[in-house]
Amino acid sequence: MIFSTLEHILTHISFSIVSIVITLHLITLLGNEIIKPYDSSEKGMIATFLCLTGLLITRWIYSGHFPLSDLYESFIFLSWCFSLIHIVPYFKKRKNYLTTITASSTIFTQGFATSGLLNEIHKPTILVPALQSEWLIMHVSMMILSYAALLCGSLLSVALLVITFRNIFYSSKSNNLLKLNESFSFGEIQYKNERNNIFQKNSFFSDNNYYKAQFIQQLDYWSYRVISLGFIFLTIGILSGAVWANEAWGSYWSWDPKETWAFITWIVFAIYLHIRTKKNLQGANSAIVATLGFLIIWICYFGVNLLGIGLHSYGSFTLTSS
Amino acid sequence: MLYVPIGYTFGAGMFKMDSIRGGSPYGAGVFSGDGSREPSEKELELAQHQGNSKILHSSTMETLLTLNPLKPQTHLLKLPNFPIYPRISTHRCSFSPISCKLTSQPSKDTTNSKIVVPGAAPSLSEEKEPPAAPAEGSRRKDAGGVVVKRLTKKVLSFLANLPLAIGEMFAIAALMALGTAIDQGEKPEYYFQKYPEDNPILGFFSWRWILTLGFDHMFSSPVFLGTLILLGASLMACTYTTQIPMVKVARRWSFLHSANTIKKLEYSDSLPKASIQDLGVVLSGAGYEVFLKGPSLYAFKGLAGRFAPIGVHLALLLIMSGGTYTATGSFKGSVTVPQGLNFVMGDVLGPSGFLSTPTEAFNTEVHVNRFSMDYYDSGEVSQFHTDLSLFDIDGKEVMRKTISVNDPLRYEGVTIYQTDWSISAIQILKDGEGPFNLAVAPLTVNGDKKLYGSFLPIGNADSTNVKGISMLLRDLQSVVLYDQEGKFAGVRRPNSKLPIEIDGTKIEIVDAIGSSGLDMKTDPGVPIVYAGFGALMLTTCISYLSHTQIWALQDGTTVVVGGKTNRAKIEFPDEMNRVLDRVPEINQPSDVICG
Repeated sequence: MIFSTLEHILTHISFSIVSIVITLHLITLLGNEIIKPYDSSEKGMIATFLCLTGLLITRWIYSGHFPLSDLYESFIFLSWCFSLIHIVPYFKKRKNYLTTITASSTIFTQGFATSGLLNEIHKPTILVPALQSEWLIMHVSMMILSYAALLCGSLLSVALLVITFRNIFYSSKSNNLLKLNESFSFGEIQYKNERNNIFQKNSFFSDNNYYKAQFIQQLDYWSYRVISLGFIFLTIGILSGAVWANEAWGSYWSWDPKETWAFITWIVFAIYLHIRTKKNLQGANSAIVATLGFLIIWICYFGVNLLGIGLHSYGSFTLTSS
Repeated sequence: MLYVPIGYTFGAGMFKMDSIRGGSPYGAGVFSGDGSREPSEKELELAQHQGNSKILHSSTMETLLTLNPLKPQTHLLKLPNFPIYPRISTHRCSFSPISCKLTSQPSKDTTNSKIVVPGAAPSLSEEKEPPAAPAEGSRRKDAGGVVVKRLTKKVLSFLANLPLAIGEMFAIAALMALGTAIDQGEKPEYYFQKYPEDNPILGFFSWRWILTLGFDHMFSSPVFLGTLILLGASLMACTYTTQIPMVKVARRWSFLHSANTIKKLEYSDSLPKASIQDLGVVLSGAGYEVFLKGPSLYAFKGLAGRFAPIGVHLALLLIMSGGTYTATGSFKGSVTVPQGLNFVMGDVLGPSGFLSTPTEAFNTEVHVNRFSMDYYDSGEVSQFHTDLSLFDIDGKEVMRKTISVNDPLRYEGVTIYQTDWSISAIQILKDGEGPFNLAVAPLTVNGDKKLYGSFLPIGNADSTNVKGISMLLRDLQSVVLYDQEGKFAGVRRPNSKLPIEIDGTKIEIVDAIGSSGLDMKTDPGVPIVYAGFGALMLTTCISYLSHTQIWALQDGTTVVVGGKTNRAKIEFPDEMNRVLDRVPEINQPSDVICG
């Protein structure tokens, strides 16, 4: 009994802290000069991370198995991964652009998990025989971690696309075709002459465009790094799942819907990485692929479970509200 | 004759008049006097600049690419006659795309376009001479071989095309998505009903599309397998034509001898009052491989990050070949065996493809000694076990093991997995007589939730309206009994020796006999596939590394440092700053070690 109350407390604390952090972020957006909320929001996120860790550990002790056996637990794990991604750059003393995305993702996933949409009561359940294996920890945690990283990276690409197309939209509205050409070819020259210091010395473009383009380049770069990290985790997750399937069911690949969609996700992000090898296709094209990847991850993680068929049916649920 | 002047792009060095030097906006040159004067530092720099100049290379590329390969032509480029020019061919970095293009179209080698250096450097022109005459002769003699070679090159470059590969990947992803949307492996009537011709989805998609294209068995259909084979061919072609030359290019490096070149790198800095040896020590402490020659230094780190993508492709090819071997050369089968019975392996295993050959182990007889289940306190199934004995063809027991889920039995290449369970019979005593075995049938089976039932007829068993005692079981723990009207009568545990009286009949449940669901397979492709998996995991991790290169030059008491990296572009300046902060500053002039 004590464990479930502890769980409840931790859930509520983390949820409220994250809401406060989001509110602080919004305030900083409106009032640029306030530095203090940024710092306290970082501390708030660390507190959230600790709460979520505590929540997971409590569940682990209480139920006797690693807390990853059904959809509710995997959602909590996902929000834990988001908060982990959020605080790692903080400890490396590097300000990054992921903060808004990871913080909001944490709150959304946790909010969804604790909401009434998943109609089973959130008591820890027992593990069916097929899931009683050490591979559970390795495979499922890698997959969820990879989903978290890939979702972050794809959201960065979405942000990049939004900013790029808003740029064009506003430039064309101002009826200045030269400016439009500049902002477009600016990005391309920038990508082509990355090593050339000339561009930094020649500042015949307006400052506004310069900063926007810098920002777009940063987003692009961070999206690339985070997605390649997530891709590594996804590879390890899929392959460990295949090895586990071979040990448990006798076949390392049986075209199960969940397996197939994980493979599709892998292919789409491999396409993203391949597009980035060619310098002239970078930028908007790769961002479009990453956006597609974002949708596909949700289909893979969530959509397949709605069907409730196949070997991965442990994660299935029905969408009736209690 | 093709003139490629450099204009004034050399910059400030052009206008320095403190020493006599050759070279003009038309190009580099040297005042050699009677031939004895060696080129001076400035002249060498100018020549190097011309060699490096993008204008030179881009216009060279244009002319080379517009060449008709069949017409013998000699293009002369006015280049200064310095023996340092062999280094152009080894120059990498920003020209790697260009040099890669050249190497990936080796058909150009059989043409007669060449760079002839006029004037007083006969050694250079000699080494470029051979392509001229023999190529023509060999072309006439060996026309057939050359055509095959050229066809192979064309096919390779077509397959290694990146947009094609991306298109193939998209196609595979789309086919797989379709494979999950369309129910697989059903009878044709199912598709007639679900995708009717008179009401097609999207206006055209009916069962005809599905059955002709083989979408009902998508993952073994010719369309899907063909696209996979095409992707495999593209992987091989890409590795051969693009990745391997890039590796050769990345491994070549050379010292940079000019501070200006170093300053032009994407990150550069200069440390006044420092020694290049100290920088070398700090860099090797930071994990770089450092090479020091005289006043110049070259260090690199993370070269594996350039090789790793090749490893990724090779691992994928390994997995694909292993998967193909599995699909064509394995055996599999499944069987449900009641406790106490046995079967022969060869009867259960069926081949999957044309490469499947049975082994001696197929004659082994498998005996199910005992099937048991473990339960949680809440009554749910926690694990089920089967005690198996294997007997060879002579009847000798060769192996005995209790298997459970996630813990299979392996014997001579055959693996037996515990995948399922069932109930086969109930043993009862009726009115003290027996034991009788009543067959049990599954009523509903929904994943892990199963319900089995049995029936004991009372009275005339042959009449049409038979009444009797019904028994329901969820698992082997307990039996629920219902009387002749279907009313609940009681629950009994097997082996509890507690009888129950129903409608005048005394029933005692002796035992509930389960049967074990076993899956068997042999899979010769598994070692290959596992090797591929391991290689893929490893190489994917390694390709996250960024290949960093650093050059430095001791210029008097200042050390000029520059570097570049291919992946971690944003963290690189911070990392460089941290490294450079650790280089000690030398305050006494006597401490400076020159040269």
